[in-house]
Amino acid sequence: MYKKSSAYILIIPLIIAFCILIGWPLINVVKNSFYEATFLNPAQKTFTGWRNYTWLFTFKYPTPNISYFVAAFSRSLFWVACSVLIKVIIGLLAAVLLNSEYLYGKKIYRSLLIIPWAIPWAMAAMMWAWTLNGQFGIINSILLNLHIIEQPVSFLSTNASAFITTFIVDAWVGLPFMVIMLISGLQSIPDSLYEAADLDGAGDIRKFFRITIPMIKPVLLTVSLLSMVWTFNSFDIIWVLTQGGPARATETLPIAIYNTSFRMIRLGGIGKASAMTIMQVMVVTIISVFYIKTMQESEPK
Amino acid sequence: MKRNTKTTTKKILFQILALLFIGFMLLPIYQMIITSLRPAELPWESPAPLYPDKVTFKNFTDAFHLVPRLPRYLLNSFIYGFGVSLLSLIVAIPSGYALARFRFLLKRPLMILVIYANMFAPIMLLVPIFTIMKTFGITNTYMSVILAGSIFTIPLSTWLTISYMQTIPVEIEEAGFIDGCTQYNVIGKVVLPLMKPALVSIFIYSFITGWSQQFILALVLINDDKLMPIAQGLYQFFSRSSVRWNELMAAILLSTLVPIALFLLVQNYIVKGLTTGSIK
Repeated sequence: MYKKSSAYILIIPLIIAFCILIGWPLINVVKNSFYEATFLNPAQKTFTGWRNYTWLFTFKYPTPNISYFVAAFSRSLFWVACSVLIKVIIGLLAAVLLNSEYLYGKKIYRSLLIIPWAIPWAMAAMMWAWTLNGQFGIINSILLNLHIIEQPVSFLSTNASAFITTFIVDAWVGLPFMVIMLISGLQSIPDSLYEAADLDGAGDIRKFFRITIPMIKPVLLTVSLLSMVWTFNSFDIIWVLTQGGPARATETLPIAIYNTSFRMIRLGGIGKASAMTIMQVMVVTIISVFYIKTMQESEPK
Repeated sequence: MKRNTKTTTKKILFQILALLFIGFMLLPIYQMIITSLRPAELPWESPAPLYPDKVTFKNFTDAFHLVPRLPRYLLNSFIYGFGVSLLSLIVAIPSGYALARFRFLLKRPLMILVIYANMFAPIMLLVPIFTIMKTFGITNTYMSVILAGSIFTIPLSTWLTISYMQTIPVEIEEAGFIDGCTQYNVIGKVVLPLMKPALVSIFIYSFITGWSQQFILALVLINDDKLMPIAQGLYQFFSRSSVRWNELMAAILLSTLVPIALFLLVQNYIVKGLTTGSIK
């Protein structure tokens, strides 16, 4: 029969993996956040105490009004909020649409929808860069042909449009997962609820708000939290599309961490980047706590 | 009668909305396909054509001239992806089994740790991964990217193994025990054969996830051109001042075919695995 001793033996690889692959880097980043070093030779470091943490709030760069970290951090939060909002709203509507009895070819749509999921993010971003190209991109073509715009638009060259474009592309990357998860959530709602509502003569909109939304809320909450974390950690899309530009308009926290550690040799450094990383990890940890809580609550007892 | 016309309009409306949505989702892929089929000599004009005005397959061979190391990059990506998936399964199979089947002291904290670790993305550990690997002098090796990549696929592979295990009835294993098998015999002779299709899909899923995360990890761990994964290799040609879009799109098309095909193959398993399973 199942012996507890074999459980402890079987679990050893996981414990080793956690200690070496996650525990060690985490301890390392905490330690490094109290030191100063450059990426050229991280082993050569000097102890600085809490200075890297005060640096987060006192290093006003490039403008004297707001610190580099606070700017990147708040930009990140706004960017994540926009992207996740699109994912949730469009995702829910698309899930209802692709699960609707009125739609033909649901299977085909779903298989097509899954394709972007399998494309590596950096590759997807390169495809999007060309799709959004300021002269010959197909988006400009479509908009010009429909006479929505008169002149081609350079989506990635002004601050506001680059910000909007990057979070839309990020939403594009996250939507397949969102929609597929929500569809499986929708399919678990018993038909009898809708049939009962039909008998009462409820309309589609009423059914959506009174049955679909309350029934799908647990699934919606978990995928939203998951998607928040993924979006907060999003690096490749912005890096390939704008590298954080123009004029730092899309420099979210992940981009700032990369820049601080590997690009700003004199102003940044491994220590300061480590302090920023701690902030990144803390935000993810806070969302994870909520995520684990909702998972436990939605569990069948 | 009135109700019928209402249903018909709804059907048409939904069809249009679904087409628009899928159109948006596939737009960059469409753009990639028509660009890779368009002769590179043909000058671009604005507005660019919405469909291929002339078709050629020359770009696919020219891609290998533009990116001479294309096969090498692809091979590297496979090596990284394969290494990451293999490492993930080695950890995930025994521990997923233990977490699904046993009740023991560490079970609950470990389950929560698996879920928490699943939230981690490369950027969160990029700086420490780099400093550790640099201190040990193992940047610019296959090993560095495989080890770093597996950090982010082990938790998910373990989670998926747990949720598949929970769908296999315990009675099958109990029959094995009654026949006098030991715990490890049961795993080898009963559980693993039953899990085979699930293991294939977990392998492929970590392969694809690993494939996607190679870019950022290689950005800091690899600067030797011979060891670059495909995304990083192609990125060099993307970030140049004048991009050869036709050949580049052909190269991207060639190199995304494999992950897409693999993913379509296992999609049902993955969706099922991600939507079932519980902490207890």
